[in-house]
Amino acid sequence: MIYFKDVSKHYDTHTALRKVTFFIEKGEMAFITGPSGSGKSTLLKLIYMAERPDEGNITISDWEVDKIRESHIPALRRTIGVVFQDFMLLNNRNVFENVALALRIRGANEKELKPKVFDALKIVNLRHKADCYPYALSGGEQQRVSIARAIVSEPIIILADEPTGNVDPDTSAGIIRTFKDINARGATILIATHNRELFRNTAKRVLKLDFGNFVGEDIA
Amino acid sequence: MDLSYSFKLAARSLWHEKWINLLSILTITAGLLITAVTVLAVYNMDAATRRLPEKFSIMLYLSDNLSHPEVEKIINTAGKENIVEKVKYIPKDEALKDLKATLKDTAYVLDGLGENPLPDAIEVKLKNSAMGPDTVQKLTARLRAISGVAEVEYGEKFLSSIYSLRVGMQGVGIVIVIMLSAGMVFVCYSTVKILFYRKRKEIETYKLLGATRGFIRAPFIIEGAVIGLSGGLLGLIGILSLYYLVILQLRLTFPLFKILIFPVDVSFILPPVGFLLGIIGAVVAIGRIKY
Repeated sequence: MIYFKDVSKHYDTHTALRKVTFFIEKGEMAFITGPSGSGKSTLLKLIYMAERPDEGNITISDWEVDKIRESHIPALRRTIGVVFQDFMLLNNRNVFENVALALRIRGANEKELKPKVFDALKIVNLRHKADCYPYALSGGEQQRVSIARAIVSEPIIILADEPTGNVDPDTSAGIIRTFKDINARGATILIATHNRELFRNTAKRVLKLDFGNFVGEDIA
Repeated sequence: MDLSYSFKLAARSLWHEKWINLLSILTITAGLLITAVTVLAVYNMDAATRRLPEKFSIMLYLSDNLSHPEVEKIINTAGKENIVEKVKYIPKDEALKDLKATLKDTAYVLDGLGENPLPDAIEVKLKNSAMGPDTVQKLTARLRAISGVAEVEYGEKFLSSIYSLRVGMQGVGIVIVIMLSAGMVFVCYSTVKILFYRKRKEIETYKLLGATRGFIRAPFIIEGAVIGLSGGLLGLIGILSLYYLVILQLRLTFPLFKILIFPVDVSFILPPVGFLLGIIGAVVAIGRIKY
């Protein structure tokens, strides 16, 4: 489903990833861990093509990233749900509209949109905040809105960049349970986190990065 | 793609950025009004200059002592020319009578003449459509070559002045209309570009969620079209107000204004023109932005 082969990414001042190779199977849920600056976010950005690799090959589902044309990138992104580290919520839209945006972009009509958005909000326990605006929510709530937006279109791949960075331990556990449920329905999930507690006893694969180098993997 | 959502986004943005949009609408209104007034002025001046050649004619002065059949032949030859509207024979006695009538109180100066010094003449009137200096020049050359025609006279300078004035006015009119149209496209272009940059973060989110270029562009193009159309509608209101509140009143007070031609129906073209200019401005703006 997600295949990295000798992938490197260099920036002007440093190398974010160096010859990274790994494979995530279809329907798998895995974690990427490592300290801040280890290249976790860059690795996710390469998957949803916010960045292009300098070396190596990346295959996402049936897409070969180095061969993909600019005009096809939106189609690839529509197969992926992303929980961004900085949430990327629109402050001029309420929670409902922020979540609905993922469906509107996929061409959903008004009729099918409403139940799906409310289902997604129910999963993250924010059904009662549908009319609120992001600026009126706490960091944790904003993160859950971001998760709802990532899962609402039932994408085949979900990427989450520090999805529990702003939430308390109970909410963190709830979010991981949510991801497990979605994974159980067949979605492939890759979560980047530096929080070891998040994947402890999950029995999921954990890929380790350190200063851009892939340093091995474990089962949590 | 759900276009109703694009319309909703455009409406939201039009309201949210109402002041900048209102400014653009008023600028387009002013531009369209100036364009319309320019077109009307050129049209009226053109119509006025077109009426002037009605007085224009070519005079063929005939040789002395031509027989009646010879005069008939000249009249027929001149009348067969495609661009000739009317041919009129003026015998020298009638010409003298006309001259005396023109001179009125000073006609006594002609009393000293023993014999009528004026020649017989033929007055040739041309069709309005054939009033170009080149056409008239070629015709006079042909008329001069007819046997029995001693001299040909026409207001060469008058004709070329009128013609140059008409061509000049049309040229100036076209330049003004093109410049103002380009200006209005630029207003829409700049407005959409500003709105686009103000929404950069929002657009970045759309892109990362997988929005197509069409999904991102459609609201901006709708916005440009609405701005242009609104400018056109206000321009139409302005032109109709000018006609009903100013021109009609002036016509009642000053008869001189009755000669003004004001095709009110044509002013209904302003909203579609504004609409089109708005879309062009938006499309050019979106097309030139890298995102």
